[in-house]
Amino acid sequence: MNLGFLIGVLGVLILSHAAYSTIQYRGLLKITEEEFSGPPLNVVLELIIGLALCMWAALTFPGKFLSIHPDSDENRAVSLPDNSDFMIFNHRGRLFPPQIDMKF
Amino acid sequence: MGSSEKGSKDVMSDIPTFSVENLQNNLKVIQNSRTFLSIIAGVLAGVIGFTGLTGFVFYFVVMLITSVGLMAKAGFSADLYFDSWNRVLFDGFLGGLMSFVLFWTFAYDLVHIF
Repeated sequence: MNLGFLIGVLGVLILSHAAYSTIQYRGLLKITEEEFSGPPLNVVLELIIGLALCMWAALTFPGKFLSIHPDSDENRAVSLPDNSDFMIFNHRGRLFPPQIDMKF
Repeated sequence: MGSSEKGSKDVMSDIPTFSVENLQNNLKVIQNSRTFLSIIAGVLAGVIGFTGLTGFVFYFVVMLITSVGLMAKAGFSADLYFDSWNRVLFDGFLGGLMSFVLFWTFAYDLVHIF
């Protein structure tokens, strides 16, 4: 497992802990009979940290972007066929013009 | 000479001059990022307790941040990795909305109702 996956797992754990804290906070509010106006500050902080970690994981884990240009470094074909020593072009066939009707 | 050069240029512009396999790989990466982040955004909206339109505004904000992140991942040069900027901005937006609503209601039920 690589780093991005571990960071994503950590973010999901932090988020679930934040959800659990909110459940407990709502239980507390039920006892004191107050209205829920928003989650407490430490839950908000946990949510922000969890979102940041998951954002990091989502941007790094799925893989790298590959260049779509045919002439970029990664897409260039650098290997020649292995039998290039046995290819002969200087033979009698070159006297006859090719019969294929080339388009351009 | 000039006309024949122009004709060959027209033929060349019809042929796609980019690697389709790599483009599909990039689109898959974007799709995965957006799906994961819309699930996470749904859980966040449910835990905070958003209801109604506020949750959808939250989704738009998170997807905007995601778009900026994806642009930064592409090094702010989209023509190197995609055929247009719209791919980065809008791909997987509606599909993510579905999983966002699913996990939003799930987390909201779990935290605030039960």
